[in-house]
Amino acid sequence: MEKHILIGGEAGKGIAKTTLLISEVFTNAGYYVFNYREYQSLIKGGFNFNVLKISDNPVYSHDNSYDVIFALNQDLIDRHENDLKEGGFILGDKNLKGKNLIGIDVQAHLEKLGASAKLGNDILIGALAKIIGLPVEPVVKVVKGAFKKKIDLLEESIIEGYNCVEKKMELDNPDGKPKYFITGNEAISMGAITSGIDMYVAYPITPATPVLHELASKQVEHDFIVVQPENEIAVACSALGASYAGANTMIGTSGAGFALMTEALSLQGMSEVPLVVYLSQRTGPASGVPTYNSQGDLKFAVNVGHGEFVRVVVAPGDAKECFYRTIEAFHLASKYRVLVMILGDKHVGESNYSFDDFEEPKIKPSRYITEPCEDYKSYLITENGVSPRSVPGQGAVVRATSYEHNEYGYTTEKADEVIKMNDKRLKKLDDLKEEIMDLVPVYLHGQGKKLIVGWGSTKGAIVDALKDLPDFRFLQVSYISPFPAEEVKREIENSDEVILIENNATGLLGDIIAEQTGKIINKKVLKYDGRPFTSEEIVERVNKVVK
Amino acid sequence: MKAEDLNTGEKSTWCPGCTDFGILTSVKQAITNLVNDEKVKRENIVGVSGVGCFDKIYDYLNINFFHTLHGRSLPTMFGIKLGNPELKIIGFGGDGSTYAEGMAHVVHSCRYNEDTTFLVFDNQMFSLTTGQATPVSEKGLVTPSTPLGVHEKPVNPLALTMTCGASFISRGFALDIPNLTKLIEAAVMHKGFSFVEILQPCISYHNTTQFIREHIYKLENHNTGNYEDAMKKALEWDYCQNENSKIPTGIFYETNKPIYEDQWPHMKKWHTVKRNPDFRKILSEFKK
Ligand SMILES: Cc1ncc(C[n+]2csc(CCOP(=O)(O)OP(=O)(O)O)c2C)c(N)n1
Ligand code: SF4
Ligand SMILES: [Mg+2]
Repeated sequence: MEKHILIGGEAGKGIAKTTLLISEVFTNAGYYVFNYREYQSLIKGGFNFNVLKISDNPVYSHDNSYDVIFALNQDLIDRHENDLKEGGFILGDKNLKGKNLIGIDVQAHLEKLGASAKLGNDILIGALAKIIGLPVEPVVKVVKGAFKKKIDLLEESIIEGYNCVEKKMELDNPDGKPKYFITGNEAISMGAITSGIDMYVAYPITPATPVLHELASKQVEHDFIVVQPENEIAVACSALGASYAGANTMIGTSGAGFALMTEALSLQGMSEVPLVVYLSQRTGPASGVPTYNSQGDLKFAVNVGHGEFVRVVVAPGDAKECFYRTIEAFHLASKYRVLVMILGDKHVGESNYSFDDFEEPKIKPSRYITEPCEDYKSYLITENGVSPRSVPGQGAVVRATSYEHNEYGYTTEKADEVIKMNDKRLKKLDDLKEEIMDLVPVYLHGQGKKLIVGWGSTKGAIVDALKDLPDFRFLQVSYISPFPAEEVKREIENSDEVILIENNATGLLGDIIAEQTGKIINKKVLKYDGRPFTSEEIVERVNKVVK
Repeated sequence: MKAEDLNTGEKSTWCPGCTDFGILTSVKQAITNLVNDEKVKRENIVGVSGVGCFDKIYDYLNINFFHTLHGRSLPTMFGIKLGNPELKIIGFGGDGSTYAEGMAHVVHSCRYNEDTTFLVFDNQMFSLTTGQATPVSEKGLVTPSTPLGVHEKPVNPLALTMTCGASFISRGFALDIPNLTKLIEAAVMHKGFSFVEILQPCISYHNTTQFIREHIYKLENHNTGNYEDAMKKALEWDYCQNENSKIPTGIFYETNKPIYEDQWPHMKKWHTVKRNPDFRKILSEFKK
């Protein structure tokens, strides 16, 4: 069973809240729900919507045809009336116009109850529950639970809405086990706290801002700090300062802010001060389409900063992966004193995913700070290239520097020392590559002989599409740097047909695969209109390409 | 402890006779005095420098040190302080890197008023890049990049930091080592953002030694708690070389203001906090 609901209207009318409440009713009852959010870069007015896919089986993506359109204005109906499925309904105020409209006289019902206009959405929520086949009690419970203080006539409004329409649909019974319902951004915040974060530094930018808000709201309880300095240059420099002082530090941004951070990310490479960066992509170049999606910064991340140094890039494919990949990012950054980037985007960051459970992470947090020793060398050359980390205040003199240096950290321009230090820094790659092999750098979904290759947030739509593409299996590449070249090459060589799917205009992973494996993928399914793929779209376009 | 204990043995690459040596001597003496008086623990001192001639002080001081990027001393200092508030941060900047590349940070560090000390080596010149004009070079100065003469008037760093809310504002002279030493000690002991401008003639590209010696004087009977008086003194010299210029030195302004890092009720010395995050509890908080 699958049900698709479109909820939308003007910004500022409680659309996000309404969507979350409806989702919660379903996930509490044991359904899997995926929620896609689309909104414009404005605060009030305009047009925004959410798309829910509800099922008794796991779902990771949305579709563009709906069983119910929950309309808070006429604009939504005008744009999406044709996306209504056969036998579907539009639900909204009686003044709206559209096919199969179940029009409710919201004003009259509010007057009858003596309720304020604010409760109009709750009347419609009650009506939706009835139409789609839910009982009313769990709806009342969830909506009431969403407010800290009691709201008069809230329950009555939901019941009034429930009673004024007929049941139109049937729902299959799910397993009854409540699901976690979580966005990628929430999961990244959760991963950071689980990693023992000491300091999060960020400057506001969509779509990374929710992490800033989430962590700021939790800083006092969990004993860490959240800082918003004057610009992204200060964000990255102060984060390196804090990390040098011993703090477990993460920064977050999107493309425009990431561009400003690049000089400091290069400083990370030279100074070897651990740093975790969350880069949430949006549609570029420049200010682009700021509240929409893209996978356009892959090569920017992989190559960020001047000079040659180790950069780790990991791209989570859903909210659950966001959690575990964040924990890995903290671990690798501290252990190898490297730059680790969590490469997400608007789609994985702001969509809600549902899961049965989260398993206890295997990695335990550590800052990898060693006891001070005599004759401490900040840049000691060791077998694997990683110098033991110390921090100021413990007794040893600790140096960090942007210049080439000797083992103590003093500036050098000597040819042999320049070579030695470059070798030392790049040596870290050997152990890193080996460790990453244990972290599932690539994952194969499905069994087909033909191969789809992709990364990051396209995972959801591709995995959901596989059931309609029985000849295909999907290779999800999660670690982009260091690149698991052997694994990717083998899968490509073992496939009758290979298709690259990316949410960008040129197929950036394809370029990296070519560079790293010598394999060129000519068949590409690309999308660069700012919107993520739906599974229907993937099935259709893949079939067209292979034909 | 003796000042020599702060030597590193690294060979100096400053021009022979550079006035930066005077600042190095003062900094070493100030640190030695502070440590010997048990006002500061040596292991808690952290130096921070950016990129310019001045930055080489990194190699000549045997203390914890973060040598950051050109113009980025201030945000790096800010981060180190937040990372471990027990550390005593002494930052170094050049006039070019600080007032050109890193100007935004000046405004905000004054405003944040985190408890750090910032010394600017002001030679009114981009020296390490062979002598171009900076935002504090005098109007009319001819350099290879400004063959027609600098068109604008210089910024006044003291008036600027006063306006932006720094809580300790001062000026010293690289060749007046005893007074500069005292100034640095006072700046380090001040709780809040301490700004120390150090006039530092560049003998290779902008040798104002003679001019400064002739026009400099020490602030006396000056009320450092009075903002208006301090502002008047800050504006007294316009950074140009006029016959009747008067260049005051000493502490211009000092006041008590809340410091940035005190805003968190739970602020700790992070690396000593033993964290044992409870994954199940954290997960339950995120559960919808
Ligand atoms: C981002 C960046 N831009 C430019 C430079 C080149 N650069 C190195 S030193 C310097 C001048 C520094 O002038 P100042 O800060 O006044 O220090 P001084 O050399 O006078 O002591 C410049 C422009 C650099 N290192 N980094
Ligand atoms: S160029 Fe000027 S500031 Fe630089 S070392 Fe020489 S004298 Fe000193
Ligand atoms: Mg200068």
